[in-house]
Amino acid sequence: MGYVWQWQMIWDYRQVFYRGVEVTAILTFWALLIGMALGLVLGLMRSSRAAWLRVPAAVYIDVFRATPILVQLVWIYYALPILTGVQMGNIASASVGIGLHAAAYIAEIFRAGIASIDRGQSDAAKSLGMSYGQAMRRIILPQAVRRMVPPFINEFATLMKLTTLGSVLAVNELLHEAENLINNTYRPLETYTVVAIVFGLLIYPFIWLSQRLEQHWKTRG
Amino acid sequence: MIEKPIIRVEGLRKNFGKLEVLRGLGFEVKRGEVLAIIGPSGSGKSTLLRCLNFLEDYQAGEIHFEEQLVGYRRDAKGRLKPDTESSIRRIRARMGMVFQSFNLFPHKTVLENVIEGPVIVRGESRGAAEARARALLERVGLADKVATYPTKLSGGQQQRAAIARALAMQPAAMLFDEPTSALDPELVGEVLEVMQSLAAEGMTMVVVTHEMGFARQVADRVMMMDRGEIVELGPPSQIFGAPESPRTAEFLRRVLH
Repeated sequence: MGYVWQWQMIWDYRQVFYRGVEVTAILTFWALLIGMALGLVLGLMRSSRAAWLRVPAAVYIDVFRATPILVQLVWIYYALPILTGVQMGNIASASVGIGLHAAAYIAEIFRAGIASIDRGQSDAAKSLGMSYGQAMRRIILPQAVRRMVPPFINEFATLMKLTTLGSVLAVNELLHEAENLINNTYRPLETYTVVAIVFGLLIYPFIWLSQRLEQHWKTRG
Repeated sequence: MIEKPIIRVEGLRKNFGKLEVLRGLGFEVKRGEVLAIIGPSGSGKSTLLRCLNFLEDYQAGEIHFEEQLVGYRRDAKGRLKPDTESSIRRIRARMGMVFQSFNLFPHKTVLENVIEGPVIVRGESRGAAEARARALLERVGLADKVATYPTKLSGGQQQRAAIARALAMQPAAMLFDEPTSALDPELVGEVLEVMQSLAAEGMTMVVVTHEMGFARQVADRVMMMDRGEIVELGPPSQIFGAPESPRTAEFLRRVLH
């Protein structure tokens, strides 16, 4: 078995990967923004004592967690325009789709984080005369976020890898570009290996940073 | 003219589901008075205290603080309706509360804990709030701990910081919910000393406590509670010297060994 690895050919096509990284970064950025913003709102709703807030959030979270993201993406890109007349571009559709999907998981991270904070903290905030918003912003969330960092980094890594599903909507993200490259070069092993390395390089700094943050908070108490 | 009481409670009832926790309480607290609430655990003392600043809702009766109904208001027909959030918050800001488990904000330094209310709720400038906070911390003996995080403090220091945090709002009354129950015995004294000096300055205080020595020496009146009712309310000399109720006598016999 004499497989000859041909890395030079991949290097010659490096522009393809640069383009792919750019689109992957754009998808990740928008999906994360949507996922975080909506996730926070859903997480707060899910933590509410009022059923009219809690139940819709719970339904949303369960539906998005229980159905395949691939179907959700296809649905947003192909079925939504038919039903609503709103047609988004493929990058926008992929960003929104992945963002809506991630929001369900991020909401659960927020909910669990908020629930983990002792009730005495909100009692103390209220007894000073703080509003719900002030107590959340100043007292509860800053503490909850610290506990949310590890699961949040998990979700971030998952989300970035989910952007590869953009390829089903013909988004030119990293994996889609790589597959095009394979069609030209017939070098799948080298190409996929580079894709994996590039994802690793994109994601690892955030894992490292989160570990540093945890360490920092631990030493400060 | 007779001065109006600062806290007035009438026919107060509270239940958690089917469990009746407060069964029709009525009492008053005068300005500058120290009221100690004693009684066996589960008698509703802490719940009563939490109702006073509406951390807990109540089902019947009325609580008035500085002549204002707490948690409710009357509509045109005189019926009670839930009060607005902002009105409830204004009342809470006038009542300082100290908790059994301190509940300091662990992500903030002692100084940041103390200025949080004045700056965020009352909109004071940071500089003015800090100056007052430093004076308060000096007063509770924590001048050297301003930049320390709560987890690095002893329980007694944490509770004194929590008292300073409540005082920073310049409250009209202070509510203490078993402030020394979570402390190691050797740290109880330092917290009681601070409370005693507050009382001496004329602060209105409602103190749920198991410290019978404190109730006897510092309180103007002592309220004995059992099973959601007021068993007896009178000066310490009566409660500790010649209790009218056999339940009071029995309780004191048990706690005073």
